Amino acid sequence: MSITRRAFNRAALAGAGLAAAGPFAGGLIRPASAAERLLVVQWGAQWIEVSKQIAADFNKTNDTQIAWELHSGGSAAVIAKIKAVWPNTQYNVLSVWDPVFRTLIKEDWLVPIDESIVTNLATIPDQFIQKNDKGQKMTVPLSTAGAFWGYRDDLLPGGFDSIEDLLRPEFKGKLCVPYPINLTGLFIVSCAIQRGGDEKNAEPGWDFVKELASKGQIGEICTSNSEYINAMATGQYSVGFWNNGGWFATAKNFPVKLKNRMPDNKGFLYNEGFCVLKGCPEKAAFEFANFFAEPKMNELYNMNLGSGPTQPSAKTNPMLVDWYYKPDELAKYAYFADFAYLSSVMNEWNARWEREIVPLVRRG
Amino acid sequence: MSKRIADALFEAAYLSLITLFIAFSVIPVLVALVLSFDARGFMGPFPPTQFSLRWYERFLADDYYHAGLATSLIVATVATLIATLAGTLAAIALSRATFRGRAALQAALLSPLVVPNVVLGFGMLVFAARLGIVDGMTRLIMGHVLITFPYVMRTTAASLVGIRASYYEAALSLGAQPWKALVQVTLPLARTGILAGATFGFVTSFDDVGVSLFLTDAFTYTLPVAILAQMRANLDLTIAALSVIFVVATVLLIVLLDRLAGLDAIVGRGVYGR
Amino acid sequence: MLWPALVIMAPLLLGPLLALLHESLKPYVGGRIGGDDAGALTLANYAEIAAPEYVRYFLDTFRVGLISSGLALVLGFPMAHFIVRRASPPVRRLLIGGLVGTLFLSLIVRVYAISMTFGPLGPLSGFSRLLGIASNSPDGAELMVVLGLMNTTLPLVALTLIGTLQNINPRLEEAAMSLGAPRWKTFFLVTVMMCLPGILSAGITAYAFCISNLVVPMLVGRGFILFVSNLIYARFSEVANFPGGAALSIAMMVISVGLFYGLLHLVRSTWQEAGK
Repeated sequence: MSITRRAFNRAALAGAGLAAAGPFAGGLIRPASAAERLLVVQWGAQWIEVSKQIAADFNKTNDTQIAWELHSGGSAAVIAKIKAVWPNTQYNVLSVWDPVFRTLIKEDWLVPIDESIVTNLATIPDQFIQKNDKGQKMTVPLSTAGAFWGYRDDLLPGGFDSIEDLLRPEFKGKLCVPYPINLTGLFIVSCAIQRGGDEKNAEPGWDFVKELASKGQIGEICTSNSEYINAMATGQYSVGFWNNGGWFATAKNFPVKLKNRMPDNKGFLYNEGFCVLKGCPEKAAFEFANFFAEPKMNELYNMNLGSGPTQPSAKTNPMLVDWYYKPDELAKYAYFADFAYLSSVMNEWNARWEREIVPLVRRG
Repeated sequence: MSKRIADALFEAAYLSLITLFIAFSVIPVLVALVLSFDARGFMGPFPPTQFSLRWYERFLADDYYHAGLATSLIVATVATLIATLAGTLAAIALSRATFRGRAALQAALLSPLVVPNVVLGFGMLVFAARLGIVDGMTRLIMGHVLITFPYVMRTTAASLVGIRASYYEAALSLGAQPWKALVQVTLPLARTGILAGATFGFVTSFDDVGVSLFLTDAFTYTLPVAILAQMRANLDLTIAALSVIFVVATVLLIVLLDRLAGLDAIVGRGVYGR
Repeated sequence: MLWPALVIMAPLLLGPLLALLHESLKPYVGGRIGGDDAGALTLANYAEIAAPEYVRYFLDTFRVGLISSGLALVLGFPMAHFIVRRASPPVRRLLIGGLVGTLFLSLIVRVYAISMTFGPLGPLSGFSRLLGIASNSPDGAELMVVLGLMNTTLPLVALTLIGTLQNINPRLEEAAMSLGAPRWKTFFLVTVMMCLPGILSAGITAYAFCISNLVVPMLVGRGFILFVSNLIYARFSEVANFPGGAALSIAMMVISVGLFYGLLHLVRSTWQEAGK
């Protein structure tokens, strides 16, 4: 059960023999690439299900063994474990999103992506890819995801026009919002944009949140996708701000409308995908990432997650037609937050929420 | 007359508290039972409208849970054994000791009870890393001994309260060896407490999330952590199915023990057993 | 007989404690993972949580814990008494079996089950109205946390008290009643008094369980009820501010171990037989 690093390598070598006897019994084994083993960290539920499906395909042509681990807390929980043993981590490939990419790049834990192996990176739009100080590409974006306001159309027919409306008495206790550190503070940023600010000028946002909190509009503060999905399923809350994953799951069971095209607010877009940690079998990791980035696989991957593919030639789930923006809408409605900045203030914002907002909602 | 009324009132209060106790204990089990057959993938209004076996199937089909279950059982068993052995001896020793600082030592040994598991888990992660221990199983057992020990010691100590040291001393004065007096007099009397303590310890370890969250590694993770990981991304009622399986297994085990040895032989009757 | 415990527990207790203490003194820079190893040690992390707003989190934790464990005792003691003194052997067996069985109900499931039953949409949502609390209000969230914690500690308290009651001589109660004492007086002045050390120790264990809990407020507190554990968890697991989390941990440890030690001391000095 317990595997030290050395034993782990030995197990990997032993595994190589097994794998070679399997799909490559025909004798097509390239001697230089004795099978490696990769440990990939992924989210649970749909993420792991679709990933295993794609990995099974990958193993038809590549004998690299894939072991999975699931994120058990926030994405930072895995970071704490890596930090404790760095540089001896067992993890090789992490599936995370932009703010965590920024943190990992800052810690200098990632290997630049080798584009001669990850050839599919070439067709992924450059602005999706996170880079280090030297401008090297550090991530393989697989999904375009977003965080939006939205509502349950069955409970609130017609919805609302502006989030200013949410201050009205009929929305008392009807809002379901993220804990500020979830979605890296985008909820606060959205409130700031509403009042003319942005992430670096967040004060108007805090004022708006305080108004919402002191009027008792906030009914629940969620800290994970499943909490949000459950909260919206109870029917107690009609309006929320969350990521596409939470909305997608809600939309499977209830009529949901996203308010991602409000004249006075914006929707947030960001990317999720793979990055490769230092000290791992790099070639195998890149081949693995490349397989997921291939347009057909990219389409399959995102079809099940409620996110947009990063390969322009991949099709989007028809349920999400209105969820993401057409190229000409981007400037008007989409907002790309400065995640490097946001992750640097997250600790401060968390403390501020504890000190200033929780006492207000508690009184509600 | 007033005594009769007072007695009747007391009796009514006594019985209603017992009824409330049973209601509060049974309701979650029943609800969990129903939820475990809920066909919906979201937490909708109760009761569910469609039923299925999907959560049971998922548990039976997925290696991910099996590996977690195996780890949980190993960790809980090993940690409980270590903690029971050391905790029982410590409780007995402390119940007799007269040295200065005895109370402080007892408080220190029980302190993991009051410290949030998250704190113990993170502290242990950092400590293990400094010792160069990166192996998940070792770390987990270290953390779980820490959280199970106080339960065993506390419960054993509580059951020693009614057992006067004089019984042990009587055995000594009748010429028994100290260890024999301990094994034949004190331990059987404290059996309920030790067994209850070990059970609490096992359950605490088996159900722990806070400590394990930080101490698992890629290949060694406990069942609650595995389930929490699935649950954070989307609702997963596998845990309800699992709980039902465990409650049923426990009840079967108790029935079996009762048939084989008699529940009283295991739980004990105490000093004044009828 | 003490040495096995000392050899095993001393490193397990002190190691993490010292590691946390060291971590809590490291400077933290926003956006980084953990403390800065190279920086000079500082008390800044403690200064940050010295704000008066944080006192309320400690008070909330201790208050909710007290209510939950108090309720568990009030329900648990009569149950234990019934099992030891009154139940016929088959009933006794059934009840003990049931108690041990419910111990194995996972905490996560328990809490979900409670919120499904007593929550706003549950079949017993009237329960909170009975107490004059709207189930979708912040007080409703607190009620869910109380019920969740109480439910988890119930079997623990009852089983511990069974152990205590079994070692109390039933003749004392019989003697009191044969001398004409009413039932309630016998129960409170003889049985409860004789068991007080056991009751307090069960209560303290339950209390300790409650105040150190993370999962219950996380799952049903709706973000309104946050225990100190939740604040610590956010720092360790979400913002990677390990020094801040460690400082909060040390503060919580000092306060709750002090409280615990104080209570134990009180128990021991008031009832000399406790722990003897």
